[in-house]
Amino acid sequence: MNQKTAKPIRSLLITHGQLGLELKDIAEKILERNLDIETISILWGEDGSRILSKIEAFMKRHSDGPIVIFTDMFGGSPSNVCFPFISPDVEVITGINLPGLLKFLTYREKEIPFTELVQIIRKGAIDGINVMGEYLGEKSHGRRKS
Amino acid sequence: MVEEKVEISNKLGLHARAAAKLSHLANSFQSDIFLIYNSDRVNAKSLLGILTLAASVGTSITISAAGKDEQEAVTTLADLFHRKFDEEN
Repeated sequence: MNQKTAKPIRSLLITHGQLGLELKDIAEKILERNLDIETISILWGEDGSRILSKIEAFMKRHSDGPIVIFTDMFGGSPSNVCFPFISPDVEVITGINLPGLLKFLTYREKEIPFTELVQIIRKGAIDGINVMGEYLGEKSHGRRKS
Repeated sequence: MVEEKVEISNKLGLHARAAAKLSHLANSFQSDIFLIYNSDRVNAKSLLGILTLAASVGTSITISAAGKDEQEAVTTLADLFHRKFDEEN
């Protein structure tokens, strides 16, 4: 998994319900361009074998390069169905949020190792979570009423 | 090094779409470009870095560039602020 990212990395967003579609839609509006992210929306009670088939179809279509799969929650069905697909060229990042997705979209074309890229995305997602009261206190911007 | 202080005059401040425009534009220059806001200094080429400033309307920010195209970079980015990121008339 140490190859350079010579071309844009493929990505798949697998979530409970329409969450992935909404994340993609918002990211497109922010960046003002269409994104080639594919999504799989897992509906309540949906047959697991159908979901696996969709993921397998994606993998077959994009077997020529590295892939990042984003899921919305570690331990949830979107994440659990991905385990069989993890390989040196395929990584899964769970708990994705808008900052993490934007990090991916702004770094995917940089020539950095795949392993480094996934760590950058993870950090971007985690750094996007803040307790605003603490944050403003630390920054001392004087915008917090005391 | 070239620096210019600009006021954030668009109502939503340096929100996601504005930050995306700003970082996209900053990435078109070779110079190192930073935004300085109070005690914070972030890379103007980083969308998420810009968002961490949480900079709101009515406040000022300093654009600082160093490199071959530093003057053009500062002038171009400052113009985006003056145009309110093309969000408002």
